[in-house]
Formats: sequence, C-alpha cells, structure tokens
Amino acid sequence: MSLLSVRNLSKAFGGLRAVSHLSFAVEAGEILGLIGPNGAGKTTVFNLITGFLPPTAGEIQLEGTNLVGLKPHAVAQRGVARTFQIVKPFRKLSVKENVTLAAFMRLPARRDAEAAAARVLDHVGLSAKLESAAADLTLAEQKRLEMARALATHPQLLLLDEPMGGLNPKEVEDASALVMRIRDTGVTVILVEHVMKAIMRLSDRVIVVHHGEKIADGPPDQVVRNPEVIAAYLGERVA
Amino acid sequence: MRRVVAAGAIGVLFAIPVLTTNQFLIHLAITVLMWTVLGISWNLLGGYAGQVSFGHATFFGVGAYATMILYLKLGLAPWYGMVLGGLLGAAVSLPIGLICFRLRGPYFSLATLAVAEIVRLVALNWEAVTEGPVGLLITTLPQVNFGSRPVNWESKVPFYYLVMTLAVGAMLVTYGFSRSRLGAYLLAIREDEDTAESIGIDTARAKVITLALSAFLAGVAGGFYGMYFRYVDPDAVFPIALSVEMVFIAVVGGLATVAGPIVGSIFLVTVSELFRERFLVGHLIFYGLCMMLTIRYLPEGIWGAMRRAFTTYVAVKRS
Repeated sequence: MSLLSVRNLSKAFGGLRAVSHLSFAVEAGEILGLIGPNGAGKTTVFNLITGFLPPTAGEIQLEGTNLVGLKPHAVAQRGVARTFQIVKPFRKLSVKENVTLAAFMRLPARRDAEAAAARVLDHVGLSAKLESAAADLTLAEQKRLEMARALATHPQLLLLDEPMGGLNPKEVEDASALVMRIRDTGVTVILVEHVMKAIMRLSDRVIVVHHGEKIADGPPDQVVRNPEVIAAYLGERVA
Repeated sequence: MRRVVAAGAIGVLFAIPVLTTNQFLIHLAITVLMWTVLGISWNLLGGYAGQVSFGHATFFGVGAYATMILYLKLGLAPWYGMVLGGLLGAAVSLPIGLICFRLRGPYFSLATLAVAEIVRLVALNWEAVTEGPVGLLITTLPQVNFGSRPVNWESKVPFYYLVMTLAVGAMLVTYGFSRSRLGAYLLAIREDEDTAESIGIDTARAKVITLALSAFLAGVAGGFYGMYFRYVDPDAVFPIALSVEMVFIAVVGGLATVAGPIVGSIFLVTVSELFRERFLVGHLIFYGLCMMLTIRYLPEGIWGAMRRAFTTYVAVKRS
C-alpha cells in the first residue's frame, strides 16, 4: 500500500477551482517532486493534506486511514509534518524553544523534548544558533529551522514547501544535501520547489500540476521533456 | 534571588494590617489585591496566549451574582459561594470560548465585547434571578470562627487576608502555569497559531482550557467583590469599563509576567483612587494616559522594564 494516496481531490474557492480531480500516490521512502507554474495549486494541495483547508471533494489516506476532516494538529499527530513557503517560526522564541515545542508532541517531558530538539538542530546544522531568537536568523537559517521544527514531530511524511526559495546557489546546495539526509533517515518527502536543478537532482518521481490538474507524472528527466509541461511553463509556441 | 524577593513581598503583604489601622489604606490594599486577581485572570489569556478579551467582566459578574444568589436564596456561605462562583464562571466560559475562538485577532476581541454586553443585558432584564437594576443586597455575613475566635466581618482586616490569599494563590497558579507544557504551548499560539497547529498543538483546546482557568479566577474575584461590598447590580459588575480596566492593569504591569498584574494594580488603582476623590470618572482618563505612555515607552510594562533593568545591572556588575 502507498504511504499516502490522494484520490479525486478538489478544492474550489468560490468559482475558482484551485485543485481539480487530482489523484496521486506517494510510496514510502521516496522523494516526490511536486511542480507547476505559480498559482497551479501546489500550496493548496499541501493545505488540503495537512488539514489547514477542507477539500471540496476527494479522499486523502495515510496508510489506508482517512485524513479528510481532521484538524491540522491531528494530521500532525498521525505523522504528517509540513513547512511553510513563507517561513512561520515562533519569532520571539529561541531556535531551541521553537524546535522543543515541536518535540513535545511525541515527548511530553521537557528534558526529553529538549534533547530531541538538540539532536534535530545538529542534524540540520543549526547547533551554533540554539539561543538566537528565530527572528534574528538569516532566511537560509529560517528555512532550516522550518525543517527542524517539522522533523522534531518525528513524521513519516514530510511536506516541504519551497525549502530553497530565495536562497543563493551555495545555500541551495546545502539545502539539497539536507533533504537527501532527511530521506536517508527513513522520512518520505513531498517537495514543492521552483529551483529545477534541485528538483531534478532530488526527486525520484515528479508530478506536474497546472490549473489544479495533474498533467504529468513520472521520472524527472521524462517529465521535463513532456510537451504539455513545457507548454504550461513557457507557453504553447515554444512547445 | 527571585525567591527572596517573593518571600519579602509576601511578608510585606502579611504585615500591612499590622502596620496601619487606617481604614482607607486597608480598603485601598483590598481593592489593589482584588484588581490584582482580575489582572492575573486577564493576563493568563491575554498575556500568555495573546488572546485579547474585552469581555472579562462577564466572568467577574457571573461569580459575583452566583455568590450573592447562593447566599440569599440557599443560605450558602459566601466563601463557598465564591469558589462555586469561580466554577460557574469557568462553566460559562466554555460555550463563549467555543464560539469566540472560532475567530482570530481583532475579531475574537470584538466577539468577547459583544458577548459581555449580551450577558450584561440579560442580568439587567432577568429580574426573577438578578432583581434587574435594583441589584442584590446582603446585610450580614454568616458567623464563622477563625481558630477559636469569631471573625469580625465589620472590620476590613478579615477581607484583607482573604483577598491577599486569593492574590498570592493566583500568582502561584500563574507561576506553575507559565512553566507547564500548556504554558509553553500558549507562547507558541501567541507567536503563530498556524505553526502551533502544524506541530500537533490542539490550539482550540489549549485556548479553551486557559479561558476556563482565567474565568475561574475572575469569578472568584467577583464572589469576593459581592461579599466585601455586599451589594451587586449589573452596572457595578458587568460594565465594559471593568473589562477594559483588567486589560490596563495587565498591560501596564507587564504582559505574560507573574508579578506584572500586582505591580500594575498597585500603580493604577492607587493613583485612580486618589483621582476618584476629585473627579468622578477622572481615573479612566488617567488609565488611558498610562496605557498610551506604557505602550510607547515601556512595551514590556512596568514590571517587565524593571526586570530587564535588573538583569542588565547584574550583567554589568559581573563584567
């Protein structure tokens, strides 16, 4: 059975169909790239899976159990963690406290949660910043903090919403290596990203969404040659 | 160091009725401590969780009326009524929380304001229970012994020790609360509610529990008010001004601090009592002025600023 299966997922905002009859599956252990032009509905898909938005129609199942209708915190407790495209740290709290709060979900004792937070922060390379306020970090560091916070909930499935957006090439390299390391610890990843180099390198499989519909699904090198995908990104004439 | 300061402060509180027999000063101290409990009540929700309520008079009024009604109709002594009043305040907070917490930020605040007005109008018009605008009056308090001596309810001293116990108790509750996991969750909710949800925090539940605790404290303070003044009417215990004054005390004292509300209360209540003698509602002007000055110059409140100054002083001295 797939780790996550999405069937006929639709979301309408008034007359706008942000997501339309979208179906896909995510296998345990893979990195699935989710790409598409701006406004294609990628973030909406994340919001639907994690319970931040209720779907208009469709099914979402994690290991065969339904996720639709659950509040975000309940989805998190079932093992689905996410980051936000526009970073949303607890700005006034320290880096350590940011991640400790997330670790509380599995480890109710503060000492255990702090130890787990320290391990995760070491893993993402933020050990030197433990006591800094989250607001004082650079964007690259804040993106790492997003990932650390999500990882501290000990997820099976991690949804990364543009973890490399706005980073310089060196930072993109580092972030790619981090996503690889995360997958190697056994966490399944869905990656929304516009940095194509990273998507090509990291993804085992890529799904392309356009106007809320899936237009391609396959290995990255095949998907980028797909005429429909090229048309979606660059317009009909180029394709 | 903090323990020494806390123990010293509690010692001073114990000594006040011994140091002075001036009835006005004792009355002032009682008022300060009652407002401290209200400031603490508001601070739990507004300071720690960042949920700004403009309707906390509701819980104060419910506690006050419950205490009075239980005594007048069922003969239940007000010190029990006070606790039941707190519990009833907490019970009333549950539906209010479930409704208002569906909204965020300013919309939540406006909803609490609306609910408080509804409750005030109900109290004003539900004459079978509240006697409406006439209010409820009690003339004597039941006989009770403290040790072997009967308590003299004509003196202010027993009331002082009662409200002092409530205020110190409420501060201890805040201290324990701020160090608990729920307290940590509230900081997360205050910083970013979506992120809090995304890491598995049931934000609705955390807020409802906090509101209930906050409402309990306000209800107990209301019960004390009824017992001390022996008279309640809707304009005395349900006005918007009362809700707003709770906000002022917590903000001026220092949001999300244990000692902030008592510092804010000492400062604001003392000065406003002095103003009140000269101008009828002049104290509200003063409150507003203090609020503006605090927000502009001391965003951490008086206590927050004092604490920071002390930490800096220690750091400078060490280096």
